Amino acid sequence: MERRLFLRCLGCGATATLLAQTELLPRALGGVQNACAFDYTKKLSSVEAWYYVKREGGGIECRLCPRRCVVTDLERGYCGVRETRGDIYYTLVYGLPCSLNIDPIEKKPLYHFYPGTTAFSLATAGCNANCKFCQNWEISQTRPEQTDNIDLPPQTIVDICNHRKVPSIAYTYSEPIIFFEYMYDTAKLGHEKGIRSVMITGGYIEKEPLKDLLQHLDAVKVDLKAIREQYYKDIVNAELKPVLDALVEIKRTGVWLEIVYLVVPTLNDSEEEFVELARWIKTNLGTDTPVHFSKFYPQYLLKNLPPTPTGTLEMARNICRAEGLEYVYLGNVPGHPAESTYCPKCNEVVIARRGYTILQVNLNNCRCSNCNNEIPGLF
Amino acid sequence: MSKVVVVKNAGIRPVKKLAVDQYRLLLETGLGALFDRKPASAALSTMFPGGVVGMKTNCLTRKLNSTPKSLTDAISEMLEDSGIKANNVVVWERTNRELADAGFELNASSFGRRCMGTDTNGLGYGRTFYNSGEVNSLISRILTDVIDRNINIPVLKDHSIAGLSGGLKNMYGAIHNPNKYHIPNCNPHAAHISNLEPIRKKNRLTIIDAIRVQYNSGPGFDSRYLEYFGGILLSTDPVAVDRVGLEILEHCRLMNKLPALEQVGRPVKYLKSADAIGLGMERFEEIDLQVLAVDENGAARPGELF
Repeated sequence: MERRLFLRCLGCGATATLLAQTELLPRALGGVQNACAFDYTKKLSSVEAWYYVKREGGGIECRLCPRRCVVTDLERGYCGVRETRGDIYYTLVYGLPCSLNIDPIEKKPLYHFYPGTTAFSLATAGCNANCKFCQNWEISQTRPEQTDNIDLPPQTIVDICNHRKVPSIAYTYSEPIIFFEYMYDTAKLGHEKGIRSVMITGGYIEKEPLKDLLQHLDAVKVDLKAIREQYYKDIVNAELKPVLDALVEIKRTGVWLEIVYLVVPTLNDSEEEFVELARWIKTNLGTDTPVHFSKFYPQYLLKNLPPTPTGTLEMARNICRAEGLEYVYLGNVPGHPAESTYCPKCNEVVIARRGYTILQVNLNNCRCSNCNNEIPGLF
Repeated sequence: MSKVVVVKNAGIRPVKKLAVDQYRLLLETGLGALFDRKPASAALSTMFPGGVVGMKTNCLTRKLNSTPKSLTDAISEMLEDSGIKANNVVVWERTNRELADAGFELNASSFGRRCMGTDTNGLGYGRTFYNSGEVNSLISRILTDVIDRNINIPVLKDHSIAGLSGGLKNMYGAIHNPNKYHIPNCNPHAAHISNLEPIRKKNRLTIIDAIRVQYNSGPGFDSRYLEYFGGILLSTDPVAVDRVGLEILEHCRLMNKLPALEQVGRPVKYLKSADAIGLGMERFEEIDLQVLAVDENGAARPGELF
């Protein structure tokens, strides 16, 4: 053990991102009963990765995400957290999150999934994309030796959730697909102990691992970053088609699905794109799939663009509603009426929100209290 | 005209690596020829008139095929002879573990020659993103904050994606996100990384170790594909020196009946990209190539590349 970090916040919902933690916390929390203690570690894991094939003539081909990196001895995949040694491919981040928090589930955002509950949220370093607007680039666009990681095996996560009565685990912040094995084992163990699991992802994953993983997930939020392939190529450094395929697969399996679309001024904010998006969702996922239009703030490599005007977000929402989508929200606009859920039949508020706070729930057995219309989701 | 000097060991062939003294003989001749000045310490004092001098190694393969400590020791001695204080000489790499595994002794103190990884406490990567073409990266604080000038000291070898691993490829070890810049064939990324402002400005000299060239199955070590070339390559032009390195690598492949890199899907296009952005000379026929052979007494004579 190099040093220990004590976190009282796991009981009270405060932020505990580990990147900049100091030795001050143990002193401040030293006398607090039930504080949780974690070990920082400089070591990386050496757990054999799943979903890869060995190549004739050396190296491996990763089959976890559609990028299909060919990785030879001592090299890493695009994600930066999976490395070949000899002819074995390893995950370097199993059980080694660099960011932890207990978040409201609304922060994910998941608006139709046990509103008002919390989720033990975690991430490791690394990502299989490189979005120019990434708000978590300090962990997603780095390698695990560049972050402060703690030793947190799946069993410990589940124990903490049970002890603190946190009903869900959220794999989030960076891109959970790249710590697949850790997420899978934790989600599986969580289910055995009555803890739910949700994945917050870009959805850039191969079909086989996605199918396997969905057996142990309760909800998925996918960041659909655009509806145009060119945007994925230029801004995301990935591809759109596999993400759309993943969305369809998630919906098909019945795992609860919500979509976030970050509206970036001048890049993916045209009326035509919103119409295209709405029609694709309507055709392939159904009108009851919640869609969140999020406000962009200048970050990372896109500091030259202004924040999204609220009017643009409202336009996107209006277009989607006109096309028939029933649950369209605005995100990163605290206090906006479109944070709340409205019954598509009687237009009454069924869940009133402000920011991440639930103000009022007008639901009876998943039905609108006013007109008895069924509201989709898990409540 | 871009000048590249290749100095070959015509003395006793080492079992594995050259000793410090043997490297010194090659360096004395090579630096003297490169700068048309003797002794080499005088040439070095012109190139490195003071401040802190870094040496970026390539320590990917532990002691098997990494930059030899005997080479950095020889350069350190010569820098000290030229007036640089020992503590102002910094051997550096991505991580302390890589340096230690390659046989280097870590030292981040204010006494003696320093040797440290970017992950040394208090260092890490800077907070400023540098951009060149498609590359956006944070850069090791060793390069941006600790050293004033850098000598790039890679090992010449094959690379499964880039084709050639030489000086330009070695600077992947100076940025925080190298994994983002490998496909396709590290082109044009290898060029753009070396064109990031701090790297371009501080890289003053490249010395490629080509004593034993791994001509296939790199960058990991593979003893089946080693060829004794017995030389080092020196240049102030980071592109030209790699271009000569590529010639040697392809020759080793040919000698061992392996197809050219382009034929196996690993064309080294990033050298052309580097030339196109003005980083250096890629056209082999326009490089001023000087080949010298040095015997065990340090006597030099004109030599042949192969």
